[in-house]
This record gives sequence, C-alpha cells and structure tokens, in this order.
Amino acid sequence: MKIFIITFLIIPLFASLSSFIIKNKRFAEYISLLSSFLSLFGAFIILYFSISLKTISIFNSAIVIDKFSAYIILLVGIVYFLSLMYSISYMRLAMEDEQLTDKEFNRYYLFLNLFALTMLIAPMINNMAIYLIDIELTTIASAFLVIAEVTEKSIEAAWKYILIVSSGISLALLGTILFYLSGNIPGSANAVSSLDWTTLRLNAVYLNKDIVRFAFVLIVIGLGTKVGLSPMHTWLPDAHSEAPSPISSMLSASLLNTAMYGIMRYFNITGKNLGFNYPQTIMVIIGLFTIFTGVMGIINQKSTKRLFAYSSIEHMGIISLGFGLGGVFGTFGALLQMFGHSLAKPIMFFGSGNLLHKYKTKDIKKIKGVFYIMPKTAFLFSIGVLALIGAPPSVTFISEFLIILQSLKNGYYIITIILISLLIAAFVSLLAKVGSIVFGKEGNDLNIQKGDFGFLSYLPMVLPLAVLIILGFYIPENLYNLLTGITHIIIK
Amino acid sequence: MLGYVMPLYIYVLEDIIVALVLLSSFVMLSSRWISFYIHAYGFQSFLIFILTLVLGIESQNIDLYLVAFLTLFVRSIAVPYILLRMIKKFNIKEEVGLGIKIPLSIISGLLLTVFAYFLTYRLISPFSPKIVINASSIALSLVFIGFFMIISRFTTITHILGILVIENGIFLLSVVIVPTLPIIVELVVLFDILVTVTAMLILSMFMKVQTGSFSTTMLNRLVG
Repeated sequence: MKIFIITFLIIPLFASLSSFIIKNKRFAEYISLLSSFLSLFGAFIILYFSISLKTISIFNSAIVIDKFSAYIILLVGIVYFLSLMYSISYMRLAMEDEQLTDKEFNRYYLFLNLFALTMLIAPMINNMAIYLIDIELTTIASAFLVIAEVTEKSIEAAWKYILIVSSGISLALLGTILFYLSGNIPGSANAVSSLDWTTLRLNAVYLNKDIVRFAFVLIVIGLGTKVGLSPMHTWLPDAHSEAPSPISSMLSASLLNTAMYGIMRYFNITGKNLGFNYPQTIMVIIGLFTIFTGVMGIINQKSTKRLFAYSSIEHMGIISLGFGLGGVFGTFGALLQMFGHSLAKPIMFFGSGNLLHKYKTKDIKKIKGVFYIMPKTAFLFSIGVLALIGAPPSVTFISEFLIILQSLKNGYYIITIILISLLIAAFVSLLAKVGSIVFGKEGNDLNIQKGDFGFLSYLPMVLPLAVLIILGFYIPENLYNLLTGITHIIIK
Repeated sequence: MLGYVMPLYIYVLEDIIVALVLLSSFVMLSSRWISFYIHAYGFQSFLIFILTLVLGIESQNIDLYLVAFLTLFVRSIAVPYILLRMIKKFNIKEEVGLGIKIPLSIISGLLLTVFAYFLTYRLISPFSPKIVINASSIALSLVFIGFFMIISRFTTITHILGILVIENGIFLLSVVIVPTLPIIVELVVLFDILVTVTAMLILSMFMKVQTGSFSTTMLNRLVG
C-alpha cells in the first residue's frame, strides 16, 4: 500500500518535471495526459481499497485515507484527466491564435501537473495544519497557471487570488492553532496533543467548548475564502475568468471541493464537541448568502467565463447549505451535488474555451449563433448547461431535490422558499444567457470560419455529460453505498 | 508560555519584548517609505527570535531552539534581504500609497489592539496567567494590524509585508500559548512563508514589467 501511494504521488511530479526539462511540446502533452490517466486509475484503486479495507492508514498515520478522502481524490482525478485532455486542443489553438510563447507553454505543463499533485495530496493528509499548508501550495501553483498568458488583467487576477487566499489561509491556520489549544489547556484531565483529524475526532468531547466555538468560525472564514463562500469569494470570478479554460475547470471543479473537504472535517469535530446544531447553523447562513451572491452575479453577467465562475459560487453555496441542513438527505445531496458539479462545470468551461478561440471574445453580447457555426460544441454546451442547473435527467436535479427535501423535513419552510426561488432565478438567467449564445441571431461577422475544432476539443465534453445523464436515470449501488458511508462519517 | 512556571526575569523580559513587537508594528503603520516597513519587519522578527530562544532555554524544549534559529534565518534575515534587494534592483523610491492616512491608521491600530485584548481575555482568561494573556493579545493584534496594512496600503511590497506580519502574529501566538505544538507544523509554515514570498515577488515583478509600477491602484479592471 505504501509503495502504491508513493507511486501514485510521484507520477504527476515526474510528469511535471520531465515535461519541463525535455522541452518538447508533444512529449509534454502526452506524458501529462498519461499521468492524468494513471492518476484517475489510481484514484479508482484507492477508492476500491478504502471501501473494502475500511480506512487506509500509513506512515505512522501521517496519511489516512477514508471513504471521504478517496471520494475527493476521485473527483480531483476525474477533472485532472478531463482538463489534460482538453489542454491539448486548447493550448495548440492558443499557440496559433494568441502567440503564446514556448516558455509559457512549458511553464503551463510544469505548474499544471504540480497543481494536480498538491490537490491529490490534500485529502490524504491527516495533520490539519499541514493540510492547510498544502492548500496554500495549491494557491501558489494555480496562481502561476492563472498568468499562463501574461497580460495586465491576468496579473491582476493572480495577485488578488494569491493575496486574498493567503490571508484567508492564515486565518484558518490561526483557527487550527486554537483547536490545538482547546485540547491542551493546562490543568484539564484529558489532553489531546494532536492536530490529526483522526485523533481530534475520537477525542472531540474533551476539547474546550468556548475555544472550539471561536476556532470553527475562523476555519469557515479561512477555508471559506478558498471555497468561495460569500463574502470572501471576490478572488474567484477574476481568477476563473482570466485563467485558461482547462485551469478554470480544475479550479472550479476540484480545488473548491478540496477546500470544502477541510471545512467538513472540522465540521464533524465541532459537531461532536458542541452538538451539530452550532456548525449547521453557520453553514446554512453562509450557504444561503453564497447562493444569493452567486445568483446575483449570474443575473448581471456580461462575460461567459465569469458567468460560470459565479455559477460555481452558487453551487458551493448549495453544497454548504446541504451540509448545513444535515440529516441523511441533506448530506447525501450535498455530496452528490459535489459530484454533479465536478462533472458539469468542465463541460461549460471547455465550451467557453472553444467559443473564446472562435470568437476571440468573452463578451456574451458579441457571441451569437454558435449553433450555426460550431454545431457540436453548441449541442454539448446547451445540454451541459441543463445538466449544470439541475434540469431533470441529471445528477444535479436529484441532489438539489434531496437538499430541498431535507429542508422541508427539518421544517425550515422559509429557507425552502428562498432556496427554490434562487434556484429558479439561476435557472432562468443561465438558460437565457446560454440560449442567446447558442441560438441567437447569427452575426454578420464574416471573419468567423464555420466548423468545430478538432476531436479533442469536444471529446472531454462528451464523457462527463454521458456520465451525468446516465447517473440521473440510475445511481449504481456502489455509488449509493459509498455516499451513504461518507454521510455517516460526516454526521456521526 | 502557557502551562509552564517561569522565573520572574522571564516575565519582565517577555513583557518588554512583546511591547517592542507591538511598537514595531506601529512603526510600520506610521511610515511612508517601503524600506522602513522592511526594517521594522526584520526587527520584529528578531525580537520574536529572542523571545522564542529565551523561552526555549528556560523550558528546556529543544524544538523551540530549532524553531527559533529557523525564524532568525528565514523571517529576520532571508525575507528582509530578498525584499531589500528587490527594492535596490528596481530602484524603488516611490512612497507607499496610503488608502487611510497615518494618524487615522495609528488610531485604528490602537483600536484593533484593544479589540485583540478584549477577545483574548474572553477566550483564555479562565485558565491562563496575566502574562500569557498580555503576550497572546499582542500576537493577536499583530494579526489584525497585518490585515489592516493589506487593506489600507496600495503597494505590492506592503501587501506581502502585511501577510508576513499576520504570520508573525500567528507564530508568536503559537509559541506563547501552545509551546508543545508539533515542530513539523512550524517547519512547514516557514517553508510556506518562503514559497509564498517568492511567488508574490515574482508576480509583482511581472506586474512591474507590465504596468511599470508596484502600485496596486491600477488593478481595477476586473469587476462585475
């Protein structure tokens, strides 16, 4: 097992370094694609082991992988693979269109694999302080990906990103140190001298309640900055819109989940210590506010990629609301929503990447009639948006339905009404915007050539869409058992 | 240090050192020149090094020695050296753009310090002696003052220093109230500081090349 985990982590590292040293473009593309495929394969194996062997605990419990970690690793693996597949098409077009230099190209693959590596490590780590530092490293690796094309705007986005998230993470670090203090108060009978979540979880009742109360708020603010919970979300639309499309999808679909994982570990510890009412209330309030911010951003949006960035904020709000409502339905729904979001968001970002290359603009008003110009992209893009916002035959419909059901079950009728109206607002405005992009009247711009880009530009959109729709009809028993298992980990 | 009984001279020393640490953060709040900020930061880190070393010697905690010397090398020598070299290389003579003027900054700093005292008193007063409350309040106030520096100064270097002051505050807090914190955590945090500072400096060099300045006031294009 040890050797397997080490190999699993060395593969992306090897891919990143070798593609940087051997400055051959085709080699960099294929070694990275191979590495991402192996990571996805490895993620499935880890998932299999964590289900059949219960919890993997190696290196003196420095690395602990339970079902929840394995699930997050799987989501990261899926998005890593899809993004790498799309990167080949995207970066080739970027080299042709936007005079991307060779240096920038090599830097892109170096940091892309490192970014994936840091995200794959994060859910494995047992010590929460080291987990936070790893999250900080994901910030740095992805900040260099945001400036893959060095422009004034991308530098602004990267600067905001690194500044806001670093200060957020330091608040979370303060929270972690307070958690340590809460178990180490002089004179108390049961000292909990550890920052490992396994130890904290087992001895949660011995922690000092007042300090845990304060520390959990710090954690939610700190890691919430990374998750994009409002009002700490301000870096998110900028970084997502200025990064290259494959990076936007990795940021949105896997990085946010990795940070959400940390919040949920603390959520569990705090819940065991103070009763689940306290953390749940915080998550519900912040979740609702985040959905509101996301929807308002969607309604007023003029740029394609910012549109989907705000949609990510909205989805993170739904996920934290689902965890906050608690219960089996709410938690299950939130986990399923994570899965649906991770599969649907890459489709949208890859689609807007294709649009960006075709129309050379991100302005929604200038992109019209994609259906006549790029039929395949337009088809996948419009089905993808339906899957994203939760139209019936898709996973997101089931998950949002479960969350609404849980809020009804708890008797929170006002929350249900607010949630449903916000979801409808998001539904209508996203559909209207995508409708005008796809079916709007064709512009008179003669410079735009008809026809799709190559095979690799839409294959990464087909795969997740197929999975989303199939799972909408039928959730296999394995996935159901896995998610139920994680639900018990979180709320017990 | 929480949970240890120390001789009297340590208490006096600790009080003096944390007072000087607070003073150095007010030096940053009240100056207009970037090099002042960097020197004040280096001085502050040096004071924290002395405090950590003395506490380590007195409590015979070998981990603290190591952390103290790493703090000396990273926080008070390497980082200020890199920043000063950067300033020399780009020949920066520009003043720091102040969002909030100096007198108001100092008053805000005072209010933040009082708030930190209030918060610490509420949190840890049931089980800790006054000396620890004093030191940890000042540590917490460093965190707040760091945030205040980030939002009120419009230069990349002061943003970096703001984050570094926050980290200093967290480090001081961890030394004072949780001296048994696993050493691996401190090591990783130091590593993180080096990586973050390097990354932010590289970014600000890109910014200098693109916009011709270290000022962040022109970063206002991405809205909506």
